[in-house]
Amino acid sequence: MSDSSSVPPGFRPVTTTGFAEANGPWFEKIEGNRVIRGFLPGPQHSNTHGIVHGGMLAAFLDSVMGTTVFHVLHRRCVTVRLSIDYLLPARVGVWLQGEAEVLGHDEQMVQVRGRLYGPRHDVLSGLGAFALLHRQRVPKVTRS
Amino acid sequence: MSDDNPPEGFLRIDFDRDRPATFNTHVGTLYCKREPKGTRDEFVMGFRVHPHMCNPAGGLHGGMMMTVSDLVGTMGGGTLVGVAKFLPTVSMTFDFVAPAQCGDWVEGRAEVVRQTRSLLFTEISLTVGETRILRASQIAKIPSGEGQTFGKARLDRSAEVAAKRPPA
Repeated sequence: MSDSSSVPPGFRPVTTTGFAEANGPWFEKIEGNRVIRGFLPGPQHSNTHGIVHGGMLAAFLDSVMGTTVFHVLHRRCVTVRLSIDYLLPARVGVWLQGEAEVLGHDEQMVQVRGRLYGPRHDVLSGLGAFALLHRQRVPKVTRS
Repeated sequence: MSDDNPPEGFLRIDFDRDRPATFNTHVGTLYCKREPKGTRDEFVMGFRVHPHMCNPAGGLHGGMMMTVSDLVGTMGGGTLVGVAKFLPTVSMTFDFVAPAQCGDWVEGRAEVVRQTRSLLFTEISLTVGETRILRASQIAKIPSGEGQTFGKARLDRSAEVAAKRPPA
């Protein structure tokens, strides 16, 4: 991350809808078993104190964890529980990225640990439990 | 949003006044209702679910639920204990109990578990009608000294006139 105010090389935009699209663009880079997701926080992601809103951070970590589950287990999932510690603020205009790790799973549930971090420090640490959807079952597309 | 049709008593929260839109405005529109101290509805936040708040399955996005419950904890919890400061969130846990659909009216309420000199422990619920969709617990920091106020947020009283329209 030589220049923290732009999208780092190797990241591609993620195709999203609804909430994710409205709060994007989000970017992704896949390195073997690792999925890294990032975004460049703008004024629309900020709270009134010029730091990134906690709700945005939570939403992004959730997406990092969900996409990691899909990448590792090839199963779609829905969030059942998410526990988050806010470590340090993230600043508007400074690239933020996150990655996650599957800790364990059975046929129904998967446990995931994830974190968001900027160029200088960790921002968010989280632990999540996700319910795995059946292999064939893919969420319906948004009604327009 | 003119088609939000909020229930009686809810006023739009004007987070930014005439300044550029922040996240709270960007994800909204968010509304608030205030009732007398000690009642269940002393502080209620509400919003109508629109497509820009939804996930690919067409239901309310978890990120939106987390955003609103975070706000209900810090703004609502702070209001309940009479602290008019900006309370940074330290830790939050969310249980996604049930989904909500596009078009639903969602309400959020906070219950203060304990207040110390520097921390506020709250439990937050989001509901659609009688159905609880999210249970959250939050620890927020109470800054020492005067601290910063909660931004520029205020209730848009001009909506009170519109809210007095007879129901359609």
